[in-house]
Amino acid sequence: MPKRMKLTRPIGQFTVGAWVLLAVTVLIPIFYGIYISFLDIKLSSFLPPQFVGFDNYVAAFKAPETWATLKITLIMMVVGMLVQIPLGMALALVLHRNLKGSKIFSSILITPMLLTPVAVGLTFRFMFDTDLGIINWVLGFVGVENINWLGQQSTGIFAIILVDSWQSVPFVMLLLVAALGSISPQLYEAASIDGATARQTFLKITLPLITPTLLVVVMIKIMDFLKLFDTLFMLTRGGPGNETTTLGLWTYKTGFVFLEFSRAAALGVLIMIITAPVYFLWRRSTKENK
Amino acid sequence: MLNSKTIRRFAGLASVSLLLAACSSGGTDTEASGEINVFLIPSPSSTSIQSFIPDFEKETGIKVNVSETPYGEAHQKQLLSYQQKAGAYDVAQFDNTYLMPFCQAQAMLPLDGYLADSSEYDIADFGQSQQDYGKCNGETLGLTLSTEPMIQWYRTDIYEKLGLKPATTWDEYFNNAKKVQADGHGGQIIGFGPNVSWWWMTMVWSFGGKLYDDALNPTVNSKEAIAATDFLKKLMTVSPKGAATANSDEVTSKFLGEDIGAMINYSGYYGSVLDKTINKNEGKIGTAPMPVGAVDITHLAGWNIGVPKDAKNPDAAWKFLEYVLGKTNAKKYLESGAAAIGRRSITTDADLLAKFPYLAQLEIPSSSRIERYPQIAVWPEFEVAAIDAVTQVLNGKSDSTKALNALNEKLKPILAKEPK
Repeated sequence: MPKRMKLTRPIGQFTVGAWVLLAVTVLIPIFYGIYISFLDIKLSSFLPPQFVGFDNYVAAFKAPETWATLKITLIMMVVGMLVQIPLGMALALVLHRNLKGSKIFSSILITPMLLTPVAVGLTFRFMFDTDLGIINWVLGFVGVENINWLGQQSTGIFAIILVDSWQSVPFVMLLLVAALGSISPQLYEAASIDGATARQTFLKITLPLITPTLLVVVMIKIMDFLKLFDTLFMLTRGGPGNETTTLGLWTYKTGFVFLEFSRAAALGVLIMIITAPVYFLWRRSTKENK
Repeated sequence: MLNSKTIRRFAGLASVSLLLAACSSGGTDTEASGEINVFLIPSPSSTSIQSFIPDFEKETGIKVNVSETPYGEAHQKQLLSYQQKAGAYDVAQFDNTYLMPFCQAQAMLPLDGYLADSSEYDIADFGQSQQDYGKCNGETLGLTLSTEPMIQWYRTDIYEKLGLKPATTWDEYFNNAKKVQADGHGGQIIGFGPNVSWWWMTMVWSFGGKLYDDALNPTVNSKEAIAATDFLKKLMTVSPKGAATANSDEVTSKFLGEDIGAMINYSGYYGSVLDKTINKNEGKIGTAPMPVGAVDITHLAGWNIGVPKDAKNPDAAWKFLEYVLGKTNAKKYLESGAAAIGRRSITTDADLLAKFPYLAQLEIPSSSRIERYPQIAVWPEFEVAAIDAVTQVLNGKSDSTKALNALNEKLKPILAKEPK
């Protein structure tokens, strides 16, 4: 038997279980989702489904809600990442210095990550309440009149990003602390001997070496924002009107409120197509780094 | 080989069996037994139903299994089960808004045969509007599990102090709210948040408008609908700021927990009035009919409960419904905390009226036109579009004429999808 076959056969056998699990939990649902996006399945109709070609995709592209909710998703994504990644990195850099009290500080910081998004959303909904919320109560001391946080698009989006950031920054921080820990201290020693400033050290050593992790963080955050649901649902339910409805929430509404499963499947496929380039960019960058 | 005599005997036996089977199905004379699976949606009605189970099981020997599913997924789960003809449930609670999708899917068993034979349920004890509440295409697919007209709630202490009376017209209602607000309270509250459609359509009907005509053409941009939407916006000026995002539950908790003069909401929330953890204004809550606009309408809502067509034990299911919702246990059902069912024998009972004064509002005069949630399968999509448009008006992003014209256009393809 050739040497190559001897090596690959047992490996193939060992991964069969993983492939089966992957197929059942991921691949079959994806392909089934794609399949039903070409049918006209409605939960309220018991008629046999008909093949409708690209009708659901055409309807999705024509619907103004698709573009409006995509725009809201992108706004939340960009603003959210601009808040969460720098903040997570700043906290990671502080923790990496192992200053006194760092362990207690990091334990406290990761607490929000341990809470369920539904509970967090509900708690913050009370905190943002216009009449009784603690946020307006505190602002009242500095003369700010009651703000209708969840009743307007701009403040609603702000509130959602704030709550999501409160839960997500510790996650970003933890990944970056791990990345910083993997950088050899000798590199910093060499830079110090060469007289590099803190800014130069950060830009020339730290940043390039944590870039692969940063890309992972960016990719995870993009996917997180595309599937943002629990917090958003508890805080605003996509309101007022549809003004804080993301593409993910719109897909949910199409499927489970309008009972239009095939239309929702088409929107799901579109979300997958939007996410795909991010994945391929990440793959390419990790290959380049290797 | 079978001879002709054996074949004749077998055919005769089969005919008798079939005849017996036919006689035993659908009637009420047979002794129901066995086991039933009851699908409920968490609510005071569900809690009350469950309180009857131990006695029912003891009296009939029928075992009752209950599964509760939250509202957000309850109807979807039921539809999936009915599509698969799984026979998973023998009794199912559902919102009246889903009557039409269930009807179109032919998911529920018509109960008219059972109703005709049941003196215990006594359908004649209900007013016509209540008898029709669970009907679709002339068939009763669900019994009334709660009768919840939208009514006027007011703070008796504030109204007495300011010499106000519950409003009979919308103008009066607004003026009352203005006076209450000027006295330093919240004028009134309705939900301008995710359920704004409930109040908006009530206003549209009350102002003489319709959401769509008989040919299913949208009519939400009529002058009546525009006036109704403008009035809704006007009401915002006499509401606490928090009303802008409040859903129906929050509207109730704000009215009962804060200092607000009046509220328009479903009568089914009276259970919260009796709950001291929610109601901080005990003994100060009055109820009155909803103010009248250009047309006297009653917006009637509430739960239904029925027997799915694929139920494995429909006779036992009916027996259970008859036991819980029949005349004998009607008082007990109400006193166990459920939202009231508008039986005449209940709404006119002097003892009950003393304890639950709101029952008087459940006696809907025949002069008042009953309006229910639109009985169309595309209602969820219609509603989301309407909420979006009305919110644009309330937020000042658009004027009512422009927003409702756009909504009317948007609703055309949605209503066109309604199965004829």
